[in-house]
Amino acid sequence: MSRGGAAAVAALLILLVLPPFFVDDYVQFILDLILVYVMVSFGFNIVLGYAGQLAFANAAFFGLGAYTLAICLGRLDWPFPAALFAAAVVGGAAGLLVSLPALRLRAYYLAIITLAFGELLRWTYVHASGLTRGSSGLGVPAISIFGIPVASDRARYWLFLALAGLTLWGSANLLRSRFGRALVAVRGNEAAAAAMGLAPAVVKIGAFAWSGVVVAIGGAMYALLLGRISPESFGLSQLLLHFSIVMIGGLGSLVGSVLGAVILTAAPELLRDIPGLEEIIFSLLLIGVLLFMPKGVAGLLGRLALFRERLYLT
Amino acid sequence: MALLEVEGLSVAFGGLAALSGVSLAVSAGTVYAIIGPNGAGKTTLLNAVAGYVRPASGRIRIDGRDTTDLAPHAIARQGLRRTFQNGGVWGEMTVLENILVGVDHDAQSGLLGILFGFGRDRRTERRAVAEARAILARAGLAGIEDKRVRDLSFGQQRVIEISRALVSRPRILLLDEPAVGLSESEREELGARLRALAQEGTAVILVEHVVDLVMAVSDRVLVLNSGQVLAEGTPEEVRGDAAVVEAYLGSA
Repeated sequence: MSRGGAAAVAALLILLVLPPFFVDDYVQFILDLILVYVMVSFGFNIVLGYAGQLAFANAAFFGLGAYTLAICLGRLDWPFPAALFAAAVVGGAAGLLVSLPALRLRAYYLAIITLAFGELLRWTYVHASGLTRGSSGLGVPAISIFGIPVASDRARYWLFLALAGLTLWGSANLLRSRFGRALVAVRGNEAAAAAMGLAPAVVKIGAFAWSGVVVAIGGAMYALLLGRISPESFGLSQLLLHFSIVMIGGLGSLVGSVLGAVILTAAPELLRDIPGLEEIIFSLLLIGVLLFMPKGVAGLLGRLALFRERLYLT
Repeated sequence: MALLEVEGLSVAFGGLAALSGVSLAVSAGTVYAIIGPNGAGKTTLLNAVAGYVRPASGRIRIDGRDTTDLAPHAIARQGLRRTFQNGGVWGEMTVLENILVGVDHDAQSGLLGILFGFGRDRRTERRAVAEARAILARAGLAGIEDKRVRDLSFGQQRVIEISRALVSRPRILLLDEPAVGLSESEREELGARLRALAQEGTAVILVEHVVDLVMAVSDRVLVLNSGQVLAEGTPEEVRGDAAVVEAYLGSA
């Protein structure tokens, strides 16, 4: 990284650390929620944008992360780092599981089976009430990290910032590595990728598993933020939100995931006072983007030459 | 012993026999051409050897090892590379990135190293980029390394695809009509390059329509017709074969 680049990153970090000193609880909550959805949309983007797989298990990974964290903390009394690790592992395992039909099924069949997987999990949260307390919802206890309680909203924001920063930094490195190139190669031309000795199945499984890890960490953050989770948070409307963020932000763009999360988390808050307007604006936005800006907001910025995203290290 | 051996290979699509009882043997350090009219089964033969088509019967061996039932990527890892008739480059990647995919295969780095940029992984990446740049320089493509491949001419895409196949120094190289879309001088360059590769010990297998090129560079020629071997021998032998002249060369 050049000296200018390092300075820019340092400035950005300082800028990101400061908000809790200046904003009220409500804005703080929205900022936390944006960080959650940055994780969610970026994780979804790995499968949808980078691997080019029409799989809709994202709300499922999200819910698994949230429930795993809540159960490990509240039911098993695990320390937070262990519970978070468990959520990531469960998410990764679910990603691996979903990748198996993806190796055989194409497009719409994969879409349907992954949707069914999500609904099956939602049904499980409702009925496995011994573990999840069913529809009445599962509380998430307060946490501490190595003895330091994360009690204030401020501390929680910094924790979220650290989690999102580490995950996104790692993911960006991953996508810029030989693994990222393999992913784009398999998406672009599977036969040619195999001709270079890349096993398409292994590459796809890896993408799904990593997506599962990222989204499940997002789900765990969501559980911490809300303090109580219930099955209806992880249904189709959640999935639709994730999908909209990815599409509006920009398919296959890390920057787009961040932009999409900011836009779609902040906008509903501004529209909240007029009932129904939120849904209408959402739908119009999604239709507009799909029709006129197939690469989302990130693609639009790229076209205006405001920035150009380099996926690969060269 | 031959590096690549094909024995009694038959391939059928539905009820239609695309190849029946084809045998051939290619030694290291030779250029071996497969010619024949359209629909003779040339590309099917390449696809079967590279694992993209399952044969109904027959065996394929690379360096004595049976590869008949292996998947394409597993066969590729035996030291075989191929190019595609319709082009197998990744258009949305840059030239350098296309080459890098070919370099990547022998990278040794762990997941954590990749995620958080540990030193060894950074070095691996830098070394890969340096190697890819050297390959591009040798192929005369250094000036366009950051261009997206889809923005380049068909001929340039061809050169990139072949360069990418050569990155890992394959023992066997399969080329499916590499001369299509190339100019006269580019064809001559290609021919010289194939001879040089054979000189270095590579077994080059060439499916080609351009008879002049085939006759100029090949050590042996196999003529396919309707999925069967019509003739096999040195270019001179094949050129003099009455059945070949009748079926193919005569009409060319």
